[in-house]
Formats: sequence, C-alpha cells, structure tokens
Amino acid sequence: MTPDFLNTIEVILNGLMAGVMYSLVALGFVLIFKASGIFNYAQGVMALFAALTLVGFQTGQIPFAHLVNEIFGTQIHHWGPGMNNLIAILLTILVMVLFAWLVEKLVLKHLVNQEPIILFMATIGLAFFMEGVGDLMWGADLKTLDVGIPSGGSFWWEDVTRTWVSEGYEYYGMYIDLLDVWAAGIAVLLVTVLTLFSQYTKTGRALRAVADDHQAALTVGISLRSIWVIVWSIAGIVALVAGIMWGSKSGVQFSLSLIALKALPVLILGGFTSIPGAIVGGLIIGVGEKLFEFSIGPLVGGATENWFAYVLALFFLMFRPQGLFGERIIERV
Amino acid sequence: MQDTVREDEILLEVRNVSLSFGGVKALEDISFDIRKGEVRAIIGPNGAGKSSMLNVINGFYHPQEGEIWFDGKLRHRMKPHQVAKLGIARTFQNIALFKGMSTLDNLMTGRYTRMHANLFAQMAWVGPAQREEIEHRQKVEEIIDFLKIQSIRKTPVGKLPYGMQKRVELGRALAAESKLLLLDEPMAGMNLEEKEDMCRFVLDVNEQFGTTIALIEHDMGVVMDISNRVVVLDYGKKLADGSPDEVRSNEEVIDAYLGVSHD
Repeated sequence: MTPDFLNTIEVILNGLMAGVMYSLVALGFVLIFKASGIFNYAQGVMALFAALTLVGFQTGQIPFAHLVNEIFGTQIHHWGPGMNNLIAILLTILVMVLFAWLVEKLVLKHLVNQEPIILFMATIGLAFFMEGVGDLMWGADLKTLDVGIPSGGSFWWEDVTRTWVSEGYEYYGMYIDLLDVWAAGIAVLLVTVLTLFSQYTKTGRALRAVADDHQAALTVGISLRSIWVIVWSIAGIVALVAGIMWGSKSGVQFSLSLIALKALPVLILGGFTSIPGAIVGGLIIGVGEKLFEFSIGPLVGGATENWFAYVLALFFLMFRPQGLFGERIIERV
Repeated sequence: MQDTVREDEILLEVRNVSLSFGGVKALEDISFDIRKGEVRAIIGPNGAGKSSMLNVINGFYHPQEGEIWFDGKLRHRMKPHQVAKLGIARTFQNIALFKGMSTLDNLMTGRYTRMHANLFAQMAWVGPAQREEIEHRQKVEEIIDFLKIQSIRKTPVGKLPYGMQKRVELGRALAAESKLLLLDEPMAGMNLEEKEDMCRFVLDVNEQFGTTIALIEHDMGVVMDISNRVVVLDYGKKLADGSPDEVRSNEEVIDAYLGVSHD
C-alpha cells in the first residue's frame, strides 16, 4: 500500500471517530424529539452543565462559591480534596435526573398542547438560563476534565500500520487518539443499552408508545408526564457522556454548548426521529468533513470543517428533507 | 350472553352528566348505568354525543355537571391514564394504535398497568423484571391466539389493513384485562365478513372472559343482535333506554333515525 492510500484510510478513521462525538450529541436531541416533538435547543448546554458539575464534584468545589463570597465577603472555594470519579459521576447523574424533573415541573407541564415553536422557544430560554446557572454555580474558568480515560496517540496502532506500507516507501504509521477509540466504544455501548431497554422492558415500550401516539398511550395507562421526566433524564445522562468525552478532549469551557450547532446537520442527515439515523448521520458528517478537508481543503485555503457539514445538510434538505432514516413527511390535504 | 349478566350489580353509573364546549352542549343531563357482565350499546345518529359520552367515561373530557360512579365508588376528576389503571380500557373510532410498533409490542403495551417491576430492575433486566416480562408475554400470546392474529405478530401495525388494525386495537384493550371495555364503533368501515368476525369476538370476549362491554355503534342492526340493553342519544339528550326490542319500537327513536319532523 502506498503512503497516500494509507493516509486516506487514516483520514477516514479519524473522521469516523469525530463522527461518533457528533452522534453522541445528536442522540440526546433525537430522544427528546421522538418522545415529545420538542427540538431541545438546550441539549448542548446540558452537556456543558453536566461536565461542569462533574468537574465541580471531582475537585470538591463549593457550588455558588463566588456568589456567596460576593454577598457575605467570605473566602470559600473548596470543601475538601474532591472525590472518587465513580461517585462524582453517580452524583452528576443524580443532578441531571433532578434537572429533568424540574424541567417537567416548571416548564413542560405549563406548556402542554402548545405549538412546537413555543416549546422550542422555551428550550432556548432554558439554554441561556442553564448557561447562567452553570457559570454562577461553578465559575466560568476553563477546567480540565480527567475521569481516567486514556488519551493520546496509540503507539501500538502506529507500529502495526507502519508495516502495511509497500517496500521502497517511507511511512511513519497512522495516528489514532485513544480517547476517540474509547468514545466510540462507549457510544456503541450506550446505543446498545438504549435499544435493548426500549425493546424489552415495560418502560422502554412506554417510551416508544408515547413517541408514537399520545392519545393511545394515555388510554393504556401511561402517564405522559412521568415518561417525559424519564426521557429528559436519559437525555441528561447522554449529555453527561457527551460532556465527559468533549470535556476530556478539549477541556470544559463554555463554547462546549456550541456543539449543539454541530448536531443540527447530523440530525438533518439522519432524521430527527431515528436513533440509528443520529449515529449514521454523525459518521457521514465526520468522515465527509475530514475527507473534504484532506482532499479539497488545501485548494481553497483550508478550514473547510467549519462549513462543510452545514452545506452538506443544505444539500440534503433539497432532496430528502426527512433525512436518511426519518419518517416520511406526508401532509394530508 | 344473557346468563353472564348479574342484574343487580352495577359496574358503572352515569348520573345527570352535562358536558359543553363553550356554548355548544354536547351532553345534556344524561343518566344511565352499565351492569356487570352485560353488553351495553350506546347508539344514535351522527353528532348525537356518543363519542363524547365515551370520552367522559374514559377521562378525556370532564363534564361540567354530574357524577360518575364506578364499581360502587364515586369517581373524582381523573386523567385518562388514571382511569386506565382503574380498569377501563377502550378502542377508538379512528384507531389509535402505536403504528410503528409490532402487533406483539402493541399488545404488550396494553398490559402496562399490570406490570409493576421498578425502573432499576428493568434497566438491569434482573429477577422480577425478567419474570414479569415472560409472564405477561404468555398472556399476550393467549390473546393473539384468541383473535387469530398469529400471522401478524411481528408486523408493524401501520402496515396492516384497516380491519386487522381494528382487531389489533381490540387485542390491546383486551390485554389490559379490564373490568370495563369501551368500544367506539368497532365495526365502522368494515365489510360484512369483517363485521361478522368482530361481532363474534365481542360476544366471545363477553362470554369467555365475562368482561363488561359498552359499545358505540352506528349500525342499528348489528347492535340489536349483540347487546343486552341499548341507550339511545340524540343531540346530546337521552331518547330511550331499554332492551333492543323496546328501543326498536320506540316512536322517538324511529323518528330520530328516519329524520321525521314534528310540527
């Protein structure tokens, strides 16, 4: 194999890995959209908030420390040395579940039967509110997140791929980030668990039932409100996973909430209502933008990754507005 | 069918129920009862308030006036999912199935109120959750046999023909093993053969499981054959109530159906 060919494979591999990260964010959107028809603009901020909370617990930060110091003139910052990763993650999950419950109680409950656009506006409000609360609770400084997931290049993979090159060429092997490999593994696990849960359990079936037909779900005894709390909790946990992965990769910073924007083209490609769609959409975008940058990028001055996904989505909207896996849009007249 | 009825035991009683939407009166001072084990029909021309009546019983609508007594107790204002837990299942005139789910899953969802494993057991798929899943699956298979829908067990119901969807919807309501089964026009839009099948199922359910059934129908003929007692509504008011024979010979009922005007 020539180095050029191997380089292309490397680009595709890295694209797939990047795609998994997009899929993780898109997954949270799909869950909520399927169950309640709400496009949850706050999904990205939920990932940020989860990551902030996790770091806060890990390092033993006191929530709202700055606010307290400002008001009472105290000098508190930390309550101790922090805690074990596992306990911190469990506590963060608890916070996300509590958040889901509050969203239902304070927002969704009052907006039942409203137009989708109104619910969408509510989630925009929620996004800004949460960003503010996150700042107030844990501070706005850039934080590093480390939950013990290995990162950096894999030397093993480099050594293996180095031997693939044909004789007479010089080649240094492929680079793959261990963190990305872990993220891919965790994403596969997450999707498998979610799929099994929705297929073979009572609550899983109820989730699908609510996504399918509200009226019918009510008549078989499913309470929509408790299902919404569960859906938002699951979306919160998915956001936590996305937050951990993105946070470990590039630090926990407030621009993390903007990954929500990257999920949009993924959703347009995969369809808003399909979990496999979110995965495949993410992979296509990941590979697409990396390959485009690799092949066309140098000709147009690079940085194509910033816009490629959106242009691809626009192109898709023209030919298949429901996405690859979405339900066909049939409007009866 | 007659011998399943227990004359003196009343399962559901509607007392002086009035329902209006803004200025439009959908139901006016309606009272009737449903005895345990009977097939009770609610009939009337289009717009008579039949479906509104069912929606009141089912908890989709809340009447402005009147009371509903179920199983000897006054029922307070309830949401549909709470009514379902109480033991009232129903079908819809225009079919409300989970279209993307298989027949089997639709029926399993029908057993929602009867499954009690907690969320954590379900997530871990351990002990009680697993046992429960198998147990209820057996019950659902029995219903599938009963309705003769084995061949479409795994088919997404959205792909089934209309008559079959109606049958699956009946199956989902049966799966709840409720005390009272509300059927909203179970034979609407069916051909003769499908209608006969459906009649058979309704009677079999009533006889074999002893389920009390209240059904709405448009087609007078069908109703008279399968029901014990009939209540007739017209323009939101009760016109008549009694055995099929009594109702059939009632002047007012004949007028309402044939559209005779009284000057």
